[in-house]
Order: sequence, then C-alpha cells, then structure tokens
Amino acid sequence: MTLDWNVVWQYRADLAHGVLLTIALTVATMAIAVPGGIVVMLMRQSHVRAVSWAGTVFVEFFRNVPLILLVYWAFYVLPILADVQFSAFATGLVAMCLNVSAYNAETFRAGVNSIRKGQLEAAMAMGMSRSQAMRKVILPQATRRILPVLASTWVSLFKDTSLVSVIAVGELAHTALQIRSQTFRVLEMLTAMAAIYWALGYPQAKLVDWIHRKYGVTE
Amino acid sequence: MASALTSRRKNADQPPVVLYDKVVKRFGALTVLNGVSAQVNKGEVVCLIGPSGSGKSTLLRCTNALEIADGGRVVFEGQPLPKTEAELRHVRRRMGMVFQNFELFPHMTALENVACGPITILGTDPAEARAKAQALLEKVGLGAKAGNHPSALSGGQQQRVAIARALAMDPDVMLFDEPTSALDPETIGEVLNVMKRLAEEGMTMVVVTHEMSFARRVANWVLVFDEGRVIEEGSPVQIFDAPTHARTQSFLSHLGWNG
Repeated sequence: MTLDWNVVWQYRADLAHGVLLTIALTVATMAIAVPGGIVVMLMRQSHVRAVSWAGTVFVEFFRNVPLILLVYWAFYVLPILADVQFSAFATGLVAMCLNVSAYNAETFRAGVNSIRKGQLEAAMAMGMSRSQAMRKVILPQATRRILPVLASTWVSLFKDTSLVSVIAVGELAHTALQIRSQTFRVLEMLTAMAAIYWALGYPQAKLVDWIHRKYGVTE
Repeated sequence: MASALTSRRKNADQPPVVLYDKVVKRFGALTVLNGVSAQVNKGEVVCLIGPSGSGKSTLLRCTNALEIADGGRVVFEGQPLPKTEAELRHVRRRMGMVFQNFELFPHMTALENVACGPITILGTDPAEARAKAQALLEKVGLGAKAGNHPSALSGGQQQRVAIARALAMDPDVMLFDEPTSALDPETIGEVLNVMKRLAEEGMTMVVVTHEMSFARRVANWVLVFDEGRVIEEGSPVQIFDAPTHARTQSFLSHLGWNG
C-alpha cells in the first residue's frame, strides 16, 4: 500500500476553509449559548411555576437527546415548524445552541447554588436588594467558579461541531470526508483530519488547564 | 417587680431601640421561639446566652428579618418591622450584622468589603467611601491589611474586617451572631477587644455568645435562653453570681463556670 500525503497539501485551501467554519461554528454557538444558558437558568429559578417548568423541560430534553439526533431534527423538522429554509450552517448552529444552552444553564445553576447562603444573607443584611446582591456578590463569585467548566464545554463543543457534517455543513470534518471520497485517499485524509483537530484542540485543552489553575476556587 | 428590674437598666427612660413582643418562630413542626419578649435600650450591650438550639440566633436573625417571625412583633425604633422586601432593605441598612463565619466577600479586598455597602447601597462617592473604609480598618487595627483578600487574613482579622464592614453603614444597632465561635482561641481576644471598645463608645449591641467572660465583663443585660424562651434575664452580676433558675444554674455549671 502506497501512501500519498501530497493530497493533504493539494487540498490545503479547502481544509483551511473547513477549519475556519469549524471555528466560526464554535464561536457563534458559545456566543449564543452563554446568554442562552443564563436565561434558561433564570427561568428555572423563577417563582412563576409555568416559567420554571418550561426551563426545566428545556434542560432535561436537550441535554438528554443525542446531539446528532438534534442536528437531523433541526435539518428535517425546523423548516416545517418555522416555515423557513435555513442554510445548513444556520441549521447546525441552532442544533448546537439548543444542546450547549441546556448544558450551560446547568453549569450556571450549579455555580450560583455553590455560593454559600451566608453570602446572600450578608449582602441582604447590609441592605442590598436581591439584584444588587446577585450582581455584586453572587455572580462575580459564581462566574469564577464555573469558568473552568465553561472552558471544558468549549473544548467538547469544538470537537462536537464535527457532527454537523452529516447535514453537509462544510466545516473541517465534512470537507475532509468529501476530499476522501473524491480522491479515495482514506487513510491520509482521516489521519490529516485527526492531526488538524488535535493540533487545534490541544492548545485549547492546555488553556483550560491553565484556567483551572488560575481560577480554581481558593477560599 | 418588672419596674424594679427595668429601672436598673441603662437608658431605661428612653424608648428601646429594639423591642421583641411575644415573638414566635417555627421551622416546620419545630417551635424555635415560643413567645419571646425582651427589649434592647439605647447604648446597651445585651448578651443572649443559653444552650445550642435554644433560639438565641433565631431571635437575632428575626431582628433584621433574615428570618420572618411567625407570631408577635419585632419593633425597631418604635416601628414594627415592615412586610415588604423593599421597605425591609431600608431598615436593614440601620442594623449592622456580624456572622459566625464572617461571610466576607472573597472576591473583594478588605477595603472593598468595607466600602462596597456605602457605594452600592447608599450611592456614596467611591473615593469618600474608600477613605472612610480605610479609617474603619485602622479603627479595628487592620489599616495595613486593606489590600488583602479575605483568604490572606486570619480568622480574627477577617472577623474584624466584617465588623468594620458593618460599621461602614453607620448602623444604630449591631447584631453579633456568635462572632468568635469559628475562631482559634488565639484570635478570639482581638475580636472581643474590638467589640468591647465599640461598647465603650456607646454602640447599641445585641450579642449571641458562648463567651461568658465577655458577657460578664461587657454586657449591661443578659438574656438566658432555653427551649425557645427567655427563662431568666438580669444584670451580668445577677445572672452569673446568683442565677435563680435551675436551668441557668446547670447551664453555667456545665460550662465550667465557677463564679
């Protein structure tokens, strides 16, 4: 069996474009899913039962459905429900956002709940309102605590974007698999794909480790 | 009898700062406060003593409505505690509270902890609030530690910062909830000294404590709690030297207090 690594270099422009789309999808998903997660967390903590119920259903549904199923669902069902034809990228983005928002909501909830009740009481005893206590005392501490978790979610998300390749979003995985089927250089393309994901993912994982060390809670 | 007792109290001729009127508090089936009536006069140091679970801390927490009483009234400066959160905030500003576990804000420096109340709640100019915070830290002997975060302070230092934080709001009364119970024996003294000085300056103080020597030396009035009731009250001399209630006698003897 002869290997022809030249094929990777030959298709470098396509692969680079795929990398860019992968990064764009990751950034866009997180940009939406962080505020989305906060909104869903606040919904779950609402005193209005219907609102908290809706938040809970959202989390429990989208967290427990396989992401690839969500991607297919968004591809086939969303156009019918919304009566709009989305681009493949937008469809993939919707699926990723639903999933990651559900995870982020739980992360934020755990972060806020991890702050001792006494901290809220101390702020209230001084005469702060609940929203002042949230902004000045609870959220700054909660954010520090969950930053490492959000960073881990980010790294998972970066790799999970490969799942949207099944609906022909031209990100890295889809691009590489396309090149594979055109050139029949299966081993070369899969190896190149793994190498690129690893080369991009490893520094992110190291960055996460650094964040863990820097912001790990000391009290 | 009642008039004979109250006539010996400090500032008994003035209206009390805090008045507890048959206060009842239940947690589920458990009645923690079973009709407690007491008063705190201006400039008095009132110590609440008694076994754990007797309701002292709960009464203190009812004072600033961290717990809402289920029955009776808590009257602060002539006004019953309001019902709404918005009104309660205004009352809480005038009461400083010090917690057993300090509850300093760990993401802020000592100075920021002390300055954040006036800045956030009263809208005080930040430079002015910081200058005042620095002065308060000097007052509790921690002027040099202003830039430290709580994690870089000892327990006693943290609790002194917490006292400064409460004082920053210029409260009319200070509530202390077992302020030395979480401290190393070595650092208890520095906190009690700050509290003693505060008492000498005329601050009205309600102190839940297990420090009997502090209660004896600094308190003007002592309330003895047992099973959700005040079973005995009086001057420290009367409570510690001649307790009349059998439960008080056994409580004090179990503390190893020999008079």
